[in-house]
Amino acid sequence: MTRVFDFLLYVFAWLCGLILVGAFGTFMVFLLTQGLPALGFDLIFGGTAIGDALLLKRVVSDGLLPAIIGTLLLIFLALVTALPFGLGAGIYLAEYAGKRSKSFFSLIFDLLAGVPSIVIGLFGFSLTIYLHKRFTFLTPCLLISALALALLVLPYLIRSTQTALEELPTTLRLTSAALGADQATTIRFVLLPQAAAGIFSGIILAIGRAAEDTAVIMLTGVVVSAGIPRSLFNSYEALPFYIYYMASQFSNQQELQQGFGAALILLSLCALLFTLAWLIRKKVTARLLYHHH
Amino acid sequence: MKKIIEIENLSFYYGKQQILDNISVGFGSSSIAAITGSSGSGKSTFLMIINRLWEELNGARMSGRVSLFLDHEKLDIYGRAISLSWLRRKVGMVFQIPNPLPMSIYRNLALPLQMAGMKKKDGIGQKVEMVLRQAFLWPEVKDRLRDDARTLSGGQQQRLCIARAMILQPEILLLDEPTSSLDEKAARKIESLLLVLKEQCTLLMVSHDQAQVKRVADEVLEMDGGRMSVLN
Repeated sequence: MTRVFDFLLYVFAWLCGLILVGAFGTFMVFLLTQGLPALGFDLIFGGTAIGDALLLKRVVSDGLLPAIIGTLLLIFLALVTALPFGLGAGIYLAEYAGKRSKSFFSLIFDLLAGVPSIVIGLFGFSLTIYLHKRFTFLTPCLLISALALALLVLPYLIRSTQTALEELPTTLRLTSAALGADQATTIRFVLLPQAAAGIFSGIILAIGRAAEDTAVIMLTGVVVSAGIPRSLFNSYEALPFYIYYMASQFSNQQELQQGFGAALILLSLCALLFTLAWLIRKKVTARLLYHHH
Repeated sequence: MKKIIEIENLSFYYGKQQILDNISVGFGSSSIAAITGSSGSGKSTFLMIINRLWEELNGARMSGRVSLFLDHEKLDIYGRAISLSWLRRKVGMVFQIPNPLPMSIYRNLALPLQMAGMKKKDGIGQKVEMVLRQAFLWPEVKDRLRDDARTLSGGQQQRLCIARAMILQPEILLLDEPTSSLDEKAARKIESLLLVLKEQCTLLMVSHDQAQVKRVADEVLEMDGGRMSVLN
């Protein structure tokens, strides 16, 4: 009986894995067949010469370059804002919080993780209206979107930092304490380098989330055509919004294909950022744990 | 002989269970004192009281007085505000299971110095080489200092852990059954190392191995039912 159950469980687990890989493969094939024909320099630079566009000599008004740069800026700003708070709160929960404050803060962060992105977008929008009354130059813009996105990705960073630290064996802490390290020194020299892999997983999740979210940016500053933002207080373009716009407003097959092309570019951008994050993690870990310095 | 460790009326509890019962004992300098006794008799706890490491564990409490002679001064380590970091650098500890940190061999040794605020220009590299030579490890690891310390054999790992404790130049070294997880050959190497180290600091070692105790210890004490008695 046990052997039959073991076999069935094995087959079920294997099938689940196969179905998921199959689904992902089908999805990718679909996306590639739809989007590849539209891919090309034209899609990114429109009618503008590539050199002029990259050197910002001429505005790209009919290509995706502003949306690509807008998306990269959004991800960067959201991460830079959220990372210190995410790391700090994660370290607090794992290393310093008492039982009661831990469960209280965990509840708050779980609630934050459960807030739909449209609600966070609405919050960003309301904040903009409120701030506009005091600072009239402030309208929905890159900064507000980045702050709202930072709020959206914060729970990922907090949880990944907390879990990565909590999963480390107690012996590490005891060994470090026996070597005369206080708690802060142990966290800095022993625990954080060991937890780097887990923390970077959270960063990768956060990058993905910040790159794809449309609801938040729709209400806080993204527009269809704005060019490359000149400051944090400008509106901007972004790939997910372009995809959404093309999918909902397309007037011919070519526009729909451009939407799929943009989806491929967004996916490639994410893959590139994930690889970059992975390489940085490898480099940081090697430097902290294995190099003489 | 000058007592470097003096313990008076020491009792220790985990929750409601009494582990140590009114122990008063002293240990002289530059010697190896071995503590024997059955498992669970409180030997490891006794060691952790001397560097206050038990305070990292939850649910324990103690009473009594522990005085150490450190930096030419007698200090009641529980009686006044002393820095725990300073105390634990002066009183090193080696655990039963070799516990190299999951990083390179070099970083394992450099880390305690860095955590104590030392910079590379202060000669960390030289100190690392010195303790590795002292622990008879230099010829074995000099070409693989960047390798993960966990790739060393059990005996090498334990010698690395001893070297790591010694790099901070402690005045007392606590050893909790340092050879119990090693084979005879590796254990003998550690014993030779301990005999060298006793010229530099006071060693307090927990051991189950009676033959080993006879070979290395200057003084033997037995822990039984939470009480300690001197055997020789």
